[in-house]
Amino acid sequence: MSDEFVTTVPDAALELALSRIASSTAAGEGSDMQGLRLDEVVVNMGPQHPSTHGVLRLVVTLDGEMVKDVIPVIGYLHRCKEKLAEKRTYYQYIPIPDRTEYVAGMNCEWGYVMTVEKLAGIRPTRRAEVIRVIMAELNRIASHLVAVGTFTADLAPLGTAMVFYMFRDREQILDLLESASGARMMFNYFRFGGVRYDLPDGWVEKCREFLDGFPKMVQEYESLVETNAIFLQRCLGKGVISQQDVVDYAITGPNARASGVAHDLRRTRPYSVYPELDFDLCLGQHGDVYDRYKVRIEEMKQSRAIILQCLDMLPKGPVQVGSLKPPYVITPPPGAVYTAQENPRGEYGTYIVSDGSRYPYRLKYRDPCFINLQIFPKLLSGNKIADAVAISGSMDLVLGGIDR
Amino acid sequence: MHIFLAILRCVVAIVIAYMVVFVAALVNILFERRTLAFMTDRLGPNRTGWQGALQSVADAFKMMGKEDFAPAQVDKVVFTLAPIMVMIGAVSVQLVIPYTKGWVGQNLNVGLIYIIAVTGFTVLSILIGGWASHNKYALVGALRAAAQIVSYEIPMILAVLVVAMAVGSLSLNAVVALQAGYKWLAFYMPFTLLIFYVASIAELNRGPFDLPEAESELVSGYNVEYSGMRFGMFFLNEYAGLTIMSMVVVTLFFGGWQGPWADALVIHRVAVVPIAWFLIKTYILVFLLVWVRLSLPRLQVDQLMGFAWKILIPLGLVNIAASGAILLWAPHWRLVMAIYSWAALVVFVGLFDPVLRWRLNQQRKKVAVLA
Amino acid sequence: MGIEIGSVKLSMDELATRVAQEFAGELTNVSVQEPDTIVARLERSELRQVARRLHDLAEIAYDSLNWIAAVDYRTHLESVYHLYSYATNTYLELHVEVPRAKAAVETVCDIWPAADWHEREAWDLMGIRYEGHPDLRRILLKDDWIGHPLRKDYVDLAENHPHV
Repeated sequence: MSDEFVTTVPDAALELALSRIASSTAAGEGSDMQGLRLDEVVVNMGPQHPSTHGVLRLVVTLDGEMVKDVIPVIGYLHRCKEKLAEKRTYYQYIPIPDRTEYVAGMNCEWGYVMTVEKLAGIRPTRRAEVIRVIMAELNRIASHLVAVGTFTADLAPLGTAMVFYMFRDREQILDLLESASGARMMFNYFRFGGVRYDLPDGWVEKCREFLDGFPKMVQEYESLVETNAIFLQRCLGKGVISQQDVVDYAITGPNARASGVAHDLRRTRPYSVYPELDFDLCLGQHGDVYDRYKVRIEEMKQSRAIILQCLDMLPKGPVQVGSLKPPYVITPPPGAVYTAQENPRGEYGTYIVSDGSRYPYRLKYRDPCFINLQIFPKLLSGNKIADAVAISGSMDLVLGGIDR
Repeated sequence: MHIFLAILRCVVAIVIAYMVVFVAALVNILFERRTLAFMTDRLGPNRTGWQGALQSVADAFKMMGKEDFAPAQVDKVVFTLAPIMVMIGAVSVQLVIPYTKGWVGQNLNVGLIYIIAVTGFTVLSILIGGWASHNKYALVGALRAAAQIVSYEIPMILAVLVVAMAVGSLSLNAVVALQAGYKWLAFYMPFTLLIFYVASIAELNRGPFDLPEAESELVSGYNVEYSGMRFGMFFLNEYAGLTIMSMVVVTLFFGGWQGPWADALVIHRVAVVPIAWFLIKTYILVFLLVWVRLSLPRLQVDQLMGFAWKILIPLGLVNIAASGAILLWAPHWRLVMAIYSWAALVVFVGLFDPVLRWRLNQQRKKVAVLA
Repeated sequence: MGIEIGSVKLSMDELATRVAQEFAGELTNVSVQEPDTIVARLERSELRQVARRLHDLAEIAYDSLNWIAAVDYRTHLESVYHLYSYATNTYLELHVEVPRAKAAVETVCDIWPAADWHEREAWDLMGIRYEGHPDLRRILLKDDWIGHPLRKDYVDLAENHPHV
């Protein structure tokens, strides 16, 4: 094998790619590289690459410009979170789900805390429920800003403008979250039965101020991108996920809603105070790259509406169940529970098996990006490599969740 | 004695030409970085020197100080030759560009053809650079770049032919002379200017046409195996090209060095004020190039080639036919040409977007999502 | 048209009885966990045919596989399948017991394509072999890792850390 991108030992993924070429070419030759002929080449994108978001490695089989096959290789960010759970008490473990989908930390913490509360039978206070929704929706806006910003950055150089504007606006959200929880990204804010700190003075006013200026920002993004013929040419009709694919591959979140499947856990399996809130589901019709972008922009607007309603109905009261301190050591009764919440990327859930002791017996994450990544080989094959970059950017992957 | 002076004059001219290219490249790099920064709500480099003026110099020193190595399997001769050759185009063009009244390197009477011929030199060096790198990525990038540059030379030539027809000569001095008295060709043939300008952006591998060096897809394309000063030469050439191409556009369409107070300051029979006008106009166009680069996403290779062959070349041919007819038969050619060209510009710009959207939506409907 | 969610409205008890009747011999310990999950046990020898029938059920088909988890219960392993039905908007949790000695169970990849990577992860971290899987290799750990870390009796060998 004279493929010069192979290091000393070709690993399993590269061997698989080359063997697939071998089994599909008539001559039975495994690799193509005689000198520099460009028949089917196996090219390694990542794990360090400017446009795969995070340490994702794609072993791409190219035929000229067309992608024939993609083998995603993950595990470069595996931090054994599921095994860690078995040696930490429930309370000690709270900062860790933050770090799975680190762009949407509040949502991930909520996914874990919700399951433990159901296991242990703890009901959070009403004020805490409303604050949780506010934080989760703010984090949803921030996460979508990152998703759309980095997606347009892949179509560069338009992205160099869009990404900076979006990150500038995301700074305001991070300031809000920092003044409430103390951290910009790894919040460690949720507790069993409530949240750690109450909102500081003036937080509600600052939040309203931000939300007042938000529609104008969204309009700026839309006008920059949607009036641009080149952008449309690269997005319309590319990377279509059919509705049958959504069902077969269990795709959730904006990726599924862009194909017209109205699957949103805030509606289909409501939790917290979502039944009392009035918001629309953003659905697309064509399931292509443009629709996924558009659904995220619309969801940002809907999140704004949700936060405004929550700020209006924010009740007074304690933010934590119990008198003075949050419960540090809880021992839920034996059993197994799965709950999920609507992460900006899809259905994020945890399945916890408890044996009555202080430590979880088994913690399993249902991570949306891990599952959304499975459709990549089918989605990217037959497209050109530049389209492949745009399509993978539109799927909004965060490697922290994929690898855990 | 005369031989000696002649040789000295040649050497001085070559040195000045190279200096212009290097200085222009360094200035452009800083100019672009600061302009991009301001447009994206940042500041850009502003610490080295006054407002960051020495940043490019610092970058050049850094690049010169890097280890000079070549990968083991490259073709040594060609690998070394490619970055040296790449500047030939930018430097040679300056031979015929009039910087100010009566001050031109060599008043070739085939100046326009000469410019087109020499700007094609970059293709050669990109190709051999990409090939010598012995690297899949580099070769694919080099082939794309070559295809792109060659395809976009044709609309450029078609636009230049219209200018030549209007002027009646291929000499650049004649082109500038025709535009005396603020009768700039940009006001009379904006459509031709548009075709030439878009084609020149593609010639420079710049802005929406920068697929050969697409960072996020091929990791720097044809110059991926070059580092240190070898890469520096490719890099400088690209930025020098911004200025050189803008100079060409200014000379052809915006009246070259003409402007008010042309005779105010004359040193040794060289008028100094027009040089300033020339540079101001050039840098307005360079700013436009940077602006376009920031605002538009990258075209993919099939869209790029499609745009050249299916849109620009047919339009260029129609333009030549119409302009030729006007120049031949119309009584007041300037007036008729202005009417035709502005009308063509408005129609093209107005129709391009809606037609493209309509076609894309048609294609989109064909892909079923309920399958 | 397209996929409708929750078009079939049945109460959880009705649904549970219906599922229990449909699979009378195979699914045991059918119970309802509020608010919308049916939990049942399944023998591993009957997994494939029950899975196929669940996927093709009329009206209330469990057409989507949400996740597969592998749990180590010290005496045995368990492969937990969490299924979702778009028509009824409910979930079905199947527990399949797998012996520790020869931990193998049949794959459901061809029935629900989403099972692919879940089974690879269960093999990687827990050591349950999914027979018939087209490409069962490690997914999160490096290819030559020795052992299955999520098991309760896992011992980390020095060979796994050559650079330390």
